[in-house]
Amino acid sequence: MILVNKDTKVVVQGITGKMGQTHTARMLEYGTQIVAGVTPGRGGQTVHGVPVFDTVAQAVEKTNANCSIVFVPPYLACDAGFEAIHVGVSLLVVITEGIPPNDTAKLVNYANSHKVTFMGPNCPGVVSPGHSLIGIMPGSIFKEGKVGMVSKSGTLTYEIALALTEANLGQSTCVGVGGDPVKGIEYQPVLNLFEADPHTDVIVLIGEIGGNAEEKAAQYIKEHIKKPVVGFIAGQTAPPGKRMGHAGAIISQGSGTAKSKIEAFEKANIRVAKTPGQVAKLVSELIKQPAVK
Amino acid sequence: MNLYEFEAKNIFAQYGVPIPPSKLITRPQDLNKIFFGYPLTLKCQVLTGGRGKAGGIKFAKSLAEAQKIAPELLDLEIKGCKTQSLLVEPKLNITNEYYLSVTLDRELGVPVFIATSEGGVEVEQAKNVVKMPIHFPYSAFLTRTLAYKIGLNGEALNKFASIADKLYQIFIERDLDLIEINPLVAVEGNELLALDGKIVVNDDSLMRQPYFAGWLESHLVDLPKVERLAKLHGVNLVELDGDIGILCNGAGLTMATMDMVAEFGGKPANFLDAGGGSDQAKTLAALELVNKNPKLKVILLNILGGITACDDVANALVEFVKAHSNVKLVVRLRGNNQEKAKEILSHYNVKLIPDLEEAVKTAIALAS
Repeated sequence: MILVNKDTKVVVQGITGKMGQTHTARMLEYGTQIVAGVTPGRGGQTVHGVPVFDTVAQAVEKTNANCSIVFVPPYLACDAGFEAIHVGVSLLVVITEGIPPNDTAKLVNYANSHKVTFMGPNCPGVVSPGHSLIGIMPGSIFKEGKVGMVSKSGTLTYEIALALTEANLGQSTCVGVGGDPVKGIEYQPVLNLFEADPHTDVIVLIGEIGGNAEEKAAQYIKEHIKKPVVGFIAGQTAPPGKRMGHAGAIISQGSGTAKSKIEAFEKANIRVAKTPGQVAKLVSELIKQPAVK
Repeated sequence: MNLYEFEAKNIFAQYGVPIPPSKLITRPQDLNKIFFGYPLTLKCQVLTGGRGKAGGIKFAKSLAEAQKIAPELLDLEIKGCKTQSLLVEPKLNITNEYYLSVTLDRELGVPVFIATSEGGVEVEQAKNVVKMPIHFPYSAFLTRTLAYKIGLNGEALNKFASIADKLYQIFIERDLDLIEINPLVAVEGNELLALDGKIVVNDDSLMRQPYFAGWLESHLVDLPKVERLAKLHGVNLVELDGDIGILCNGAGLTMATMDMVAEFGGKPANFLDAGGGSDQAKTLAALELVNKNPKLKVILLNILGGITACDDVANALVEFVKAHSNVKLVVRLRGNNQEKAKEILSHYNVKLIPDLEEAVKTAIALAS
């Protein structure tokens, strides 16, 4: 289990908005420690029993929250992230989609200089099944176990988690790094955490067309990761030059193709699944012989 | 959002980036009102690259020649883009050409200057390209370093640096994905001028840029009609040439569903990612968009509810089925409120298949 556990105390920024309220209820139901919410001007109210503060500083002072999840609208989300990092949370999860990339670039820089783990933006969050869910994932599809997952895509992660869970292959932690071209945490630090995590036996890496993060991750796996890895790449049928939903999912000038990523995976001895369902099959084979790499 | 050359140059002028004198015309008779002297350059205004190679830039030595060329250029279609207007400029005596741009580098996570003293060609083919990351906080000395690195000195160094500084200001203040001058030319008397200009505004930033308010619809002309409509509805649609319409939530799942259709021998008609948190109205609009494809034989809807509530999707499906009872639908709905969705759909003839692989195979069978 990595990044989040039963002791993670969460402040929800934007808790009084529709998204904030809905997902606060779901996270509480899952058992996540949601200790505070923040909406400027709404201090003193409560949302599903969670106290609301005007600033993150007050929230952290009163509740010792060490993680923030941001549901603030796109043009305000960067500022919300700065506030949380300034106050000293150690994990920042930004769910908001549509943040201008120049804002994200500034936030990434600020998070790095404060050594804060910044996940997102435009991500589904992170779940350690049975312990803590900080994000918008449907909790019911996950099950506690030994598979570590890291992915650019939300719903595709659910699809694969569901297939794993139905095959009785539980997960240690599932991390959604998000589909924007500029983002906080990338594959590599998550792979390192899984490699060191005693609860993780097999790693599932889910990528998609665009950029070269998967190629870099493959190279890193080849050199540093001993645990077996199963890979999946979405977008084999995507035409070039078209943005496929995610801002970052575009094949530009021949680079970022699924083919290039799959070849990089194969060179790094990563088992590549052709369908989401096949991921579970490959994982079950590897879990039986976890020592071989 | 891509801008036309003349729009980019208007922004350059607002920030003091030097541009040649120019006039925008939409009719050949407007040439009578141009007094730059000859020869002139006439340039098609289109939202696509490769304009020079496609014959979209012509020179005229006299009014008579310009009047002959203008109608031909105004009728020219370049890569499916109709010419909207012509930008007319005096033909310059160029002594040197440079390339200069600012863009966000996704790998480095910061904006970068890209420059070379081999302008005029495609920058991908130039040899001595300098790429300089712009770390926070920005300061203008970087632009002088850049000018020095591409081999400039003296007055040219300062002029180039000043233009680079202004491009960065525009890039940040106008929320751009790209701002490019290719070529940036030196002319007699050591002046530097932006001979061409390209600006791509970041789509996610449009709502906070009042300068571009209302521009989007008229700047989507390079997209097929249905893709344009989809963009205005806030859903991501890409047209493909198969017959199985695809509607999912989330980019990765949509691509994976497309890939599965191809893997099992079917042909996707489109990519449609309705996005996270789609409500009933947005889902219905998405269904209608997919249904516009004349080649369509079946719609495969695959929704895994995270932000999206399955009952909202089910209600949209009910409305759609009432309006289009002849359209074949294969539906896979799982996640939040899936039981409610099942209950809503049980009163209608909609086939629910919980297993994705089975749903994909069913859709392929219905299409063939």
